[in-house]
Amino acid sequence: MIRKTEVEETLKRIQSHKGVIGTMVVNAEGIPIRTTLDNSTTVQYAGLLHQLTIKAKSTIRDIDPQNDLTFLRIRSKKHEIMVAPDKEYLLIVIQNPCE
Amino acid sequence: MYQNTINPSVMGQFTRSVLGSSTVSKSSISTTESIAGDLEEPYKGGKLASFTDLRVMRAAPETVLTKEDLEKNVEILLTETDTLRFFDLPTVMVSVESEDAEKVTQRNKKYEILCKNRLGNDLYVERMMQTFNGAPKNKDVQCDKIIMEDQGIMATTWDLYDSYSALELSSLAVKRSAIESSSKASVLPRERDQRLLGSTTDKNSEASSLMDIENVILTKVHEDEEDHADAILKSDKFLQDLFFMERVIMENIFQPKLAAYRQLPVLKEPEPEEPKEFLEGEKVGEVEEEVKKEEEEEIEINAEQSTIPANLERLWSFSCDLTKGLNVSSLAWNKINPDLLAVGYGHFGFKEQKRGLACCWSIKNPMWPERVYPSPYGVTAVDFSIGTPNLLAVGYYNGTIMIYNVQSSNNVPVLDSSESPQKHLGPVWQLQWIEQDRGTTGDDKREFLVSISADGRISKWVIRKGLYCHDLMRLKRTTAGSNVKGGDKEKKGEALLSRQAPGMCFAFHPKDTNIYLTGTEEGHIHKCSCSYNEQYLETYRGHKVSLIMGPVYKVTWNPFCPDIFLSCSADWGVIIWQQENLQPLLSFYPTTHVVYDITWSPKSSYIFAAANESRVEIWDLHVSILDPLIVNVANPGIKFTTVLFAKHTDCLLVGDSDGQVAVYELRNMPSASDSGRGDIINTLLGSKSNQPG
Repeated sequence: MIRKTEVEETLKRIQSHKGVIGTMVVNAEGIPIRTTLDNSTTVQYAGLLHQLTIKAKSTIRDIDPQNDLTFLRIRSKKHEIMVAPDKEYLLIVIQNPCE
Repeated sequence: MYQNTINPSVMGQFTRSVLGSSTVSKSSISTTESIAGDLEEPYKGGKLASFTDLRVMRAAPETVLTKEDLEKNVEILLTETDTLRFFDLPTVMVSVESEDAEKVTQRNKKYEILCKNRLGNDLYVERMMQTFNGAPKNKDVQCDKIIMEDQGIMATTWDLYDSYSALELSSLAVKRSAIESSSKASVLPRERDQRLLGSTTDKNSEASSLMDIENVILTKVHEDEEDHADAILKSDKFLQDLFFMERVIMENIFQPKLAAYRQLPVLKEPEPEEPKEFLEGEKVGEVEEEVKKEEEEEIEINAEQSTIPANLERLWSFSCDLTKGLNVSSLAWNKINPDLLAVGYGHFGFKEQKRGLACCWSIKNPMWPERVYPSPYGVTAVDFSIGTPNLLAVGYYNGTIMIYNVQSSNNVPVLDSSESPQKHLGPVWQLQWIEQDRGTTGDDKREFLVSISADGRISKWVIRKGLYCHDLMRLKRTTAGSNVKGGDKEKKGEALLSRQAPGMCFAFHPKDTNIYLTGTEEGHIHKCSCSYNEQYLETYRGHKVSLIMGPVYKVTWNPFCPDIFLSCSADWGVIIWQQENLQPLLSFYPTTHVVYDITWSPKSSYIFAAANESRVEIWDLHVSILDPLIVNVANPGIKFTTVLFAKHTDCLLVGDSDGQVAVYELRNMPSASDSGRGDIINTLLGSKSNQPG
């Protein structure tokens, strides 16, 4: 139980940080568990990022099978997408890093 | 009569149709089979179809041949069968020299004559005949559609690796389960897998008929999904991922500040593209202009930098909702992890007492502390251990000392001195872990915790199945008028409220851990030794304002010159002393505010920082002994209470009374010459001779 409140608190803090546009937690099937964006956007992000994560993970492990992907960051013109992948879920945060 | 050469396959068909209608013996089946064997392939299918109908002999059940049977001698008898006629094709050619040749030639001649006579002869009449052509009937056969599926697989390196390691694991698991009759661990994941499998099959079976069943199944699926979602949210890995994510976000937000802290080049975002409404030519021109301007600016900046005086640039500050309104009372770096900072929050005055907090902050996350240890009493001192760097000692206003293990995430202290019979009765003003050689036994350095408190005792705490206390010194009051010899002379008849003098601070000598200085509330600084716990070695009296003594808030040895130490006090002054000299060497009274904290810079022996109520001052004795090098004034209403230098970077941490610990970068400091670490005394003595005293 303590863990659950810690998780909730940390999620709330992340959502309230400067520049964070959205935070999403989706399970392995693409169903959102927690999200601050609307459902269609979440599902779209989840589907696309899931494929990209699989490809990135395959790339890393092809080079060295004992290695594994832990974090993925995509910097674009408008914002930065950060993905923490796992077998069971995807944690996605979109941030606008303002200088 | 001509006979065409007959296609043997056509022949074969006829033979088949003939044979099919009559009862056939086994041998003839085999003969036609062998003919059919020569036939072309397209007919094979047809042949097989017709023969499977005919076969009436059932194959005898095969008996299993044992090895003995195989090695037995078997007699095989060969007999000659009757000659079988397979094929009879009468010849159409006869040799001229054969017996029948005459007959054949005669018959041929007769036929020729007959043909000649046929033309114009009455015996032969031409007549037409019509043959009836049966209507052809089309017959189509269509076979079932052959469905083709493409199956592909990509064998990547990691896929192979995973398969091999899974094989190894499964073989290990098999061995283990053979050894242990019931292994709980293997049962649980199987159960969970079954439950998951169950949920997917439930989803597939949603198409089942009854509404009730559908509802039941749907609710069950929902529950399963909720449980699964909860399981994800509660998992350790998720918490860790959130932790990393927060740090990454912080890095993005604070990137330039953190880079400045770590003295890395700061990343600049590329300029956003200009709107496309501009004409191409204009755009190019503007871009060129911008580039030129940037270059000019850079040149200007470089020129300016050499003339800008040293200043403090504020990078960021550690603060959050929890710490708002509290007073920062102490700061301490972790000995091993240079990014971990312990901050103690608690008020100094008796009337201002509120709840207290001890937090561990990490540079990587300036917006939320890594660990929070709340308490009802104000925190007055914190220090990290040297030998076991995960232990944090915290001293409180009520005299208790608690030791926390920062590696674990729970808030319970590892050790607590509140039950100890020798706990302090007054606020613990300073804590420090000291490593001391065991000396004779040659063991590793033993570490103990030294604390000084307002009840006048300096105690040494040892962790040995609990906290054991041993008094190093009891501070005795010395009145102002008594002579220098020391504290054992008491004026009889004076009714002193207490014989103890409250201690405020102490500092162990960096080279010789047997000697230490201690500052008291009376304004005296005593040099003591661990070997004597009743007497002082020396007493330095310097801090006073007329008859009122100002408590000495901080004493600190110069890290490079072993003879120099610095003290600050509530009498607004900062004094530099030399160990052998009982009179102050240099004293500074920059403002009319209490100086709460001073600290030497770890990089140069001339630089120290002082925090008084209204401002933070950086003094560089090499440059000037009259004025501070940098002065940073506080916002009104906020007092600066603590300062701490960062070890490997040019940064200064300043704690204030609003619960913020601000990180400043020291810029444009005059470059420290090599002699900065050396002999400061000569410089100071030389300059002192110029001072009016």
